[in-house]
Amino acid sequence: MSFLEISSATKSYGRHKVLEDVNLTIERGEFVVFVGPSGCGKSTLLRMITGLETITSGTISIEGAVMNDVDPAKRGTAMVFQSYALYPHMTVFENISFGLRMARKPKEYIASQVAQGAGILQLEKLLERRPGQLSGGQKQRVAIGRAIVRDPRVFLFDEPLSNLDAELRVQMRAELMDLHRRLGTTMIYVTHDQVEAMTLADKMVVMNGGRVQQAGRPLTLYDDPDNRFVAGFVGSPKMNFLPARVVGSDMGRILLEGIGGSARLSLPFAGELAVGTSVEIGLRPEHVSLRPLLPTESSEALVGEGKVAYVEDLGAESHVHLTLTDGTAVCLRAARGEASPGTTVRFFASPERALLFDAGGLRLRNRSARTK
Amino acid sequence: MTVIRLARRPDVWTVLKWVVAIAVAVIAIFPLWWMVNVVFSLPGEPVSINPRLWPTSVAAGIDKIAMIFAETEYFRAYVVSLIYSILTIFGVLAVSSLAAFEFSLFDFPGKKITIAIVMLSLMVPTAVTIIPTYLLTSELGWLNTMQGLVVPGIASAFGLFMLMQFMRAIPRDMIEAARLDGAGHFEIYWHIALPLSRNAMVTLAILTFMRTWGNYMWPLIVGTRPEMYTVGQVVGLFNAPLSHQTVDVVMTANLLAAVPPLLFFLIFQRKIVEGIAMSGTKG
Repeated sequence: MSFLEISSATKSYGRHKVLEDVNLTIERGEFVVFVGPSGCGKSTLLRMITGLETITSGTISIEGAVMNDVDPAKRGTAMVFQSYALYPHMTVFENISFGLRMARKPKEYIASQVAQGAGILQLEKLLERRPGQLSGGQKQRVAIGRAIVRDPRVFLFDEPLSNLDAELRVQMRAELMDLHRRLGTTMIYVTHDQVEAMTLADKMVVMNGGRVQQAGRPLTLYDDPDNRFVAGFVGSPKMNFLPARVVGSDMGRILLEGIGGSARLSLPFAGELAVGTSVEIGLRPEHVSLRPLLPTESSEALVGEGKVAYVEDLGAESHVHLTLTDGTAVCLRAARGEASPGTTVRFFASPERALLFDAGGLRLRNRSARTK
Repeated sequence: MTVIRLARRPDVWTVLKWVVAIAVAVIAIFPLWWMVNVVFSLPGEPVSINPRLWPTSVAAGIDKIAMIFAETEYFRAYVVSLIYSILTIFGVLAVSSLAAFEFSLFDFPGKKITIAIVMLSLMVPTAVTIIPTYLLTSELGWLNTMQGLVVPGIASAFGLFMLMQFMRAIPRDMIEAARLDGAGHFEIYWHIALPLSRNAMVTLAILTFMRTWGNYMWPLIVGTRPEMYTVGQVVGLFNAPLSHQTVDVVMTANLLAAVPPLLFFLIFQRKIVEGIAMSGTKG
């Protein structure tokens, strides 16, 4: 039995389904990140776990106990809101201790809990201030402090860093990781930023259209996505998708044609694929190169041609954006000065790195050549 | 240099605006000033052939005030009016804030239609409801009692409307955070919604005071016995055609009635303006 189990959970408002058949297990102490575009249902799922939203069908259980009808305050969850949701008329001390005061805890206990929480988050000197006198980062820490003193079984974070500037966000991210390491409590974190998800998560849950698309370790999702959505969502710059057509299969290999207009590629693939099927090849930008591959790397590299649309120079590297003859856009990582806009260049990619997706966006796994 | 000089010269519109503003202020203030003038002068002086626009005798004014307190039940009326106003204020604040809390922060079946009915009552003139209200009060046996004066005024559609606008601006996250912190329904109201609406509550309290203190009609028909007379009724007696009072005595009674709301307004005018402005926009 897992620490937190969500089974067949759905959520609908009238006829409109927000979440469909969500199944997920979370282990004790895990840092789980729900990630997906706006409106994918990730915040709703978080709110269902904490009890702020009802569960239309299915169950959510923590440590074996079904939580569906348990009062939000009694689920042992604590939530940090995107807007911090601090009480503006209370001091930091009163904000942090509010939950304990509502639970009618003794004064000495409250004082010691707040002192401990404030110590962890370095808020000792701010206890008498009001939220209006705090910076964004400090407010965020107070919001986390309010969660910590309740000693919850699960911390829930709803896009907590999205109101902070870029520099502070990186700093707070490190602080959160450190906090998780020190407390060892289960944390569930919602974000639409896949970089944040990649850096924080033990387990990353990619959601879209009210469904869990894939859940697993961030690098597993990066290297071995289940579908085109996950492949495209995880990673920046995004994975390239090149349309192709199956023209033949032979001896555990398939031959693809019409890639980006005219290129051909022979791929090792064990599976049924009829001639004439339309597929898509997924290639990460770092797996496409402007230099010919070494013979040891690949015998039958994908070779294509495209016009350089624009180049993003980032200092250490450049992102070169190509437009192929059929209009497909391809982005690749290159060294500085390797390509200049307006020129036509050749690009190379190893077939071993290519992922295949069917017309519906599902991954076509090559069972023979790839290991999970 | 020319630019600065041009900028300093007020244009026609600015001058016109000031002229209109001053004219309105004079029209508003003159009756009050005239009242003060009549009270603090020797009898007949301000209305003589050669009238004066400023008080001539403070002693005469004090004599008149002392006379009114000594010879009429004015002090008792003051106490009745004060209790009437304070109880109404607390009643209006309690009922309006509780109702506004529910209406603005929670959803429940029939919410829209209930709000619509309450808001509709804002448009019904008092004259229409006063007879049914009187009959009901009379049925309850509340004529000539304090509860008869106070209770019908407690359900204030205006107060509800104002606090609702204000409480709508309280972020939902904050209410949810309180729920997760284990606060019950009433605790959320008491610890979160109420303190956050303090400004609006103060404004509503002041506006309620002004309205209650100046209310003439309802006390007139409910409190018919002299011991239940409010300041408004007593002033009415002074003003009555057959009261045989001279102008300066009537004016003194009026001035005494006008002092509490005037003081209130002078002290709280910034809060009143702020609160009304806020109830229209956001908290």
